[in-house]
Amino acid sequence: MIRLEKIYKWHNTGNNRVFILKDINLTIQEGEFVSIMGPSGSGKTTLLNIIGMLDEPSEGRYDFMEQDVYRIREKQRSDLYKQNIGFVFQAYHLIDELTVYENIETPLLYQNIKTSERQAIVADMLDRFNIVGKKDLFPVQLSGGQQQLVGIARALVAKPRLLLADEPTGNLNSKQGEEIMEIFRKINREDGVTIIQVTHSEKNAAYGQRIIHLLDGRIEK
Amino acid sequence: MIRNYFKIGWRNLKRNQSYAFINIFGLSLGIACSIVIFCFVSFQLSFDTFHQNKDRIFRIVTEWHDDEAGYSQAVPSPLGKAFRTEYPLAEQTARVINYNDALVTIKRNDNDYQKFKEETGFTYAEPGYFNIFDYPLIKGNKTNFLSEPNSAAITEKLAHKYFGDADPMGKTIRINNKTDFIIKGVLKDIPENTERQEQIYVSYQNLKDQAPWLANDSSWGGVYSGSQCYLLLKNKADAPKVNQALTQLVKKNFKGRDQNVWVFRTQELADIHFNTLFDGSSDKKYLWAISLIGLFLVVTACVNFINLATAQALNRSKEVGIRKVLGSLPKQLFWQFIAETALITLFAVVLAIGLAYLLMPYVNSLFKTQIKLHLFTNLPLLSFLILIGVLVTFLSGSYPGLVLARFQPVLALKSKLSQKHIGGFSLRRVLVVTQFAISQLLIIGTIVIASQMHYAHNTDLGFNKQAIITLPIPQKDKTKKTTLQSRLSTIAGISNISLCYQAPAANSNNSTNIRYDNRAEDEHWGINMKAADANFLTTFGIKLVAGRNYFASDTTREVLVNETFVKKLNLKSPEEVIGKKIFTNGDKKGVPITGVVKDFYTYSFHNEIPAICIFPDNDNYTKCAVKIEAGNMQATMKSIEKIWNETYPDFLYEYQFLDESIAKFYELDMTILELIQGFAAIAILIGSLGLYGLVSFMAVRKTKEIGVRKVLGAGIGNILWLFGKEFTRLLLIAFLIAAPVAWWAMSHYLEDYKTRISLQPWIFLLAIACTFLIAALSVGYRSLRAAMANPVKSLRTE
Repeated sequence: MIRLEKIYKWHNTGNNRVFILKDINLTIQEGEFVSIMGPSGSGKTTLLNIIGMLDEPSEGRYDFMEQDVYRIREKQRSDLYKQNIGFVFQAYHLIDELTVYENIETPLLYQNIKTSERQAIVADMLDRFNIVGKKDLFPVQLSGGQQQLVGIARALVAKPRLLLADEPTGNLNSKQGEEIMEIFRKINREDGVTIIQVTHSEKNAAYGQRIIHLLDGRIEK
Repeated sequence: MIRNYFKIGWRNLKRNQSYAFINIFGLSLGIACSIVIFCFVSFQLSFDTFHQNKDRIFRIVTEWHDDEAGYSQAVPSPLGKAFRTEYPLAEQTARVINYNDALVTIKRNDNDYQKFKEETGFTYAEPGYFNIFDYPLIKGNKTNFLSEPNSAAITEKLAHKYFGDADPMGKTIRINNKTDFIIKGVLKDIPENTERQEQIYVSYQNLKDQAPWLANDSSWGGVYSGSQCYLLLKNKADAPKVNQALTQLVKKNFKGRDQNVWVFRTQELADIHFNTLFDGSSDKKYLWAISLIGLFLVVTACVNFINLATAQALNRSKEVGIRKVLGSLPKQLFWQFIAETALITLFAVVLAIGLAYLLMPYVNSLFKTQIKLHLFTNLPLLSFLILIGVLVTFLSGSYPGLVLARFQPVLALKSKLSQKHIGGFSLRRVLVVTQFAISQLLIIGTIVIASQMHYAHNTDLGFNKQAIITLPIPQKDKTKKTTLQSRLSTIAGISNISLCYQAPAANSNNSTNIRYDNRAEDEHWGINMKAADANFLTTFGIKLVAGRNYFASDTTREVLVNETFVKKLNLKSPEEVIGKKIFTNGDKKGVPITGVVKDFYTYSFHNEIPAICIFPDNDNYTKCAVKIEAGNMQATMKSIEKIWNETYPDFLYEYQFLDESIAKFYELDMTILELIQGFAAIAILIGSLGLYGLVSFMAVRKTKEIGVRKVLGAGIGNILWLFGKEFTRLLLIAFLIAAPVAWWAMSHYLEDYKTRISLQPWIFLLAIACTFLIAALSVGYRSLRAAMANPVKSLRTE
């Protein structure tokens, strides 16, 4: 599903070139649950963003579902992204002005799905995550755990095949964290969604089938 | 999708209420002004456009090409008839002769008369007039109602005023206590947007009762300003042929030098309302200026919007980032912000319509118009509103939209966006400079016009205008004049009385040709003839510079002239003309000059002082000027009214204070002043809102800098200067742009005045001081708050 080849990412600071990622080669199959670990500044988030097409490497090749991401047209890439990738953030990143329902609905709006269909999908999502009663609340009215649930529901609503999570439990207590991890495992096993998560916690990382360690922008063998 | 856009737009407005308020209020002020201006300008442009044959209608006007060019909307009364009989170029030719201030008397019972004063006067019109213009009759027959003598037509409004609900047809009205007319037609009320506002038309055949000289077919030598001639040509392109015919008529009816001086030519109907050389009451120059100001105000309001929206952009960056992560295309984000702007614009337009409704009566009273705002029946206005809505939306929404849509999602999510991503601070500076420049331009305009007006009201006019009232003398009867004068002189509170044609400065002036002493021919300039009795000088405090006043007399035996007269004759001292004779208006005998008076103004400062001749002639006295002593004014006024009414029981009493009638010469200027004041105030208000927005933006942007500086020991004063420095610089740049433009525009404005102030540096200094003060007030509070903020807090959030 994902094949990264010789990915480099750097910033130029004065005459020095500061490397964030160096020579990343990585293949991830469909259906895998991968955890990326590493100390702060090791390039975990940058790698995740590159996989999620939010960021571009300075050099290298990225194939996503047999398509060369940097060769296809902007529009195609955007479609590829919209239909296949969902994001979950440490800071939830819900839109404050929208209700729970509307937050979950937003990705569908960008895929031009008809109103009736949209309503059915969102209702299904609310049901699945047990947040039907909270659908008209605004993010500020929810606890962190609940917000992250909404964040996950939103990430999954468009039925992506790849879920990217950037320290999804970083702002949660351990019990809430465990719940989220259980959900991830369930999604991975039952729906076959490929998951790549960035985490600091060994315990959470263990939910994945494979752990990738990053240090100073390189994958540790 | 669209619904979602509007929903989030609405919630954003609710969340940022002060931002929404500044935007909506500022925009609506700008739009309201543009609505009012649009209505006003389109009203002006609609003048006389409702006539079916408007393209073929022409008026004949007179020009005198002598040393000084002269222009008149009127023609000698025989011209129309001569043209009609000798040249078959026009389908219709109609002469109209208008007299202002008609006194209409209606007999109720045997000895019960009701009197009405009609300021628009009455008009002798030939029947063809109503075939040229579309002033429809609702009663009577258009083809013949004016063809018989003693027939009249009045408007519906007047018919109702005179006769209530009774049928006015066949009823009699008496005009100026002279002639009875029978009503043979009722006109539909005259629309507001026509130059011809007369409400009473009477048969042309009765002209001989009022003015035998005008009714005479050989009265070519003079022009009465109310005597006009209209043509309906068979073909619009015939106008040059008509002009040739008119040249031949001059050759035929004038002799000697007059053949080259007199010129008649055609004037298109569309030109009449706007040509101020003649009697045009509007000036396209001013319409352009007003439209430009309207555009300025809308642009200023849009500038605010752009400034505030891009300043807000940082706060919206997180949302933009998330939306991008959720799959939004930049295009979609752009449209989302356009939708939000559209929402704000919609509110603003609705509010603006409300404001325009409130403003309209004020504008109407200012311009003495009756413009009505009919939003849904006025198609041009409706399309204007839609156009302006769309324009404002895209003008003010697209730039912030583009900025926001361009954000890198990763940076936006991490709040790592900084000034350089939003960019365009220099653009915002340009915009603020534009606003400042517009405000300063209007402020300078206000100061210049106001000081010119102050100058006009307070400068010595060469005569005394205080505490003088003028009363009309409605009849030529000499004994009645004497009675009035002698009875008035018994009133204790009156110090002087003078019978005269007009006060020294008046909007009714008579000019004629003049020959001096034994010079061979007439001078190439006209002389202003002022009939007045021997008390004229003392009543108005006019000073003699040479010779003596003439002795009291009912006929012209001696005359006075003014200094300009001496100057125009190229003589060195006023003493030289004393005892010499002058010959005016073709007079053969001539009269000696007994004295020279100091120059005084005969009209407003727009005009130069002409050569003047003051002469006694009882027949010409139409006003009685009364100088009142201070104290017990009310009783004096009452006695005057009583005596006047007893002298002229058939007429309506009215009086005018001289200083008030002189102030009226500047009516247009006062209107412009009020208008520009209003616009300046609005521009300043919008500008202040914008400044407030900008300084809020700066305060947010500089939070960290301020925090650090404070930690390093900066005082509040230092921090305030951070803001002050910026705005001072912008203001000075704006001034450098505004000052030359204002100087250019205002020198043009002042050129209309023959007597005027000069553009002094203090005017510009005052303008910049005003802007400084306004700027300080609008940025002060916000920057003070930023300066007082606790640095610990601001540094922690970074």
